[in-house]
Amino acid sequence: MAGSDAPAAGRPKEMRDAFAAALVELGQELPRMIVLDADLHTSSKTSAFKAAFPDRFIQVGIAEQDLFGIAAGLALEGFQPVPSTFAVFAARRALDQVAISICYPGLDVTIPGSYVGLPTSRAGASHNCIEDIAVMRALPGMRVADAGDNADLRAIMRTAMATPGPVYFRVTRLTVPDLFGPAHTFTWGRGEVVIEGADVTLFGTGVMTSLCVRAAETLVADGIRAEVVHLGSIKPLDTDLVVASASRTGCAVTAENASILGGLGAAVTEVLAEQAPVPVQRIGVRDRWVDSGGIDDLFTHHGMQPSDIAAAARRAMAHRDGTR
Amino acid sequence: MIERIGGRLPDAERDRLAAIAYRIRRLSVEMITWGQWGHIGGSFSMAEILAVLYFRHMSVRPEDPAWEGRDRLILSKAHGSPGLYAAMALRGYFPESEIYSYCELGGILEGHTDMTRTPGLEASGGPLGMGLSVAVGRALGLRYKADPRARVFCILGDGECNEGNVWEAAMAAAHYQLDDLIAVVDYNKVMAKGFVHDQMAIEPFADKWRAFGWEVLEVDGHDLDALDDAFHRARWILPHGRPIVVIAHTVKGMGVEAAEFNSKWHTHAPDGATADRMLRELARRYGFPDEGYSRLDDPVAKETFYGGE
Repeated sequence: MAGSDAPAAGRPKEMRDAFAAALVELGQELPRMIVLDADLHTSSKTSAFKAAFPDRFIQVGIAEQDLFGIAAGLALEGFQPVPSTFAVFAARRALDQVAISICYPGLDVTIPGSYVGLPTSRAGASHNCIEDIAVMRALPGMRVADAGDNADLRAIMRTAMATPGPVYFRVTRLTVPDLFGPAHTFTWGRGEVVIEGADVTLFGTGVMTSLCVRAAETLVADGIRAEVVHLGSIKPLDTDLVVASASRTGCAVTAENASILGGLGAAVTEVLAEQAPVPVQRIGVRDRWVDSGGIDDLFTHHGMQPSDIAAAARRAMAHRDGTR
Repeated sequence: MIERIGGRLPDAERDRLAAIAYRIRRLSVEMITWGQWGHIGGSFSMAEILAVLYFRHMSVRPEDPAWEGRDRLILSKAHGSPGLYAAMALRGYFPESEIYSYCELGGILEGHTDMTRTPGLEASGGPLGMGLSVAVGRALGLRYKADPRARVFCILGDGECNEGNVWEAAMAAAHYQLDDLIAVVDYNKVMAKGFVHDQMAIEPFADKWRAFGWEVLEVDGHDLDALDDAFHRARWILPHGRPIVVIAHTVKGMGVEAAEFNSKWHTHAPDGATADRMLRELARRYGFPDEGYSRLDDPVAKETFYGGE
């Protein structure tokens, strides 16, 4: 992270490695857990589960529609399938299977979407998903989560496997600073106040929460005390916390490593528009396809660095104060 | 164990199954007319298939629909739901009177299959091409379990086999040697807007399945003896590491002349008078006492045609 505001790609603490460790840990506890893969297991790191539980690992080949259909069938037989693929293939290629075979009957399927947000592998727009939050959030009954750090991811996975019904959660390839300790737990519909403040609320999800923390640190120099709230549970959203915090500070910024169309920014502003209208600025990918490139350059290019969040916070405060 | 390969059903058994197939068609018309939505052609074409499966070859306990040892049936061509619901009502999964809740708010029979409301449904569906993957998942799941006797049946439409997902599932079933998975294709030759061979040809169809590693049986899908024989073979002779497909050659709309091979009756709800004529024609055709539409005197919405012109 030295010299860079954006989360760094690189070993050893990539979130996908934490994902792999948590999968194996859960596999030891849950004998009916089955991991499915569509020829990406060494990228997504489900390979760790395959090595630990070869009998409970199902390879379906490059066939994502089949991946989710088979997962539905396994769930119908009482198993706990975890069909794993890149988020683009869950949210785009096989969306109908996810929706009708899995979500419509409310099956107990836990779907990790890997390679999310700005491209981490220089593979471009086709292989990193920015609209998965919007898409999955729109499915009735689907729960959606984006982890703030590795401990949060582990907690999300534990809760997801203990939650009946379909879950979608994101797994970034980035390395994210620790925000929470190993005792951290995750509850659906509960946000976390990471930093208390009174002047503006920064609502973050996924890797963006740690960038909100950095933004808050820079705002302190200007005498601005920003509250940072992590919304790892995007659906259901902690509407009480969103309303309470935004009502108290009177303005807010949302930040997500995803498209702002239909994502966290939309979820937060939907709640605030109905219950506590305040000025909100949204940080995330605008209505455009993303390019491949260096990850730090991409965060800069898309206006998603901590400095951008801080600037958005000042804009939101100016709107609130009528001084813009 | 193998009683009658190449043989025929006992007359009384054939008569029993024929009466059930007739009742499946009747209830389908009642349901679609009352609900003013549904697919008559694709319900009629699989009436004999459903009768032979639910009343002769599948091991099920309608009073305990979640019984672990049951054979599972997934209707991938989920728009054929009236036919399936009719068979299930006759088999005792729910009272026959429930057919009048078809497509009604709060009813237990959704237009396309919704397993959360209908006892005995083994999947939810609607979008074509999906059911075989779910069947593969169920068959893989059964492998993990102690009781290996349960089998998984999946009924597909012919037009549905345009969908790539079908062939992804076909590939996986062969790869995993799922010989307890039996696909049945209701090859009724007509899809929503025309003949299959005009819209998107699927022939050589049997060769496709063989090339994907499946055992293929081709039968007349309205011939109860032939269907019985095919399902006997699927159970006792063929299972040796390859999934099995029964390609059942059928007639879309079989039983009512105006509906046969007629894509107009893919999605088409008759008005009461038309339903009455259809039901009387069915009675004549299959040799049952004359009987018309049971709710002719009830107000029913005028004929609707969802196909567009």
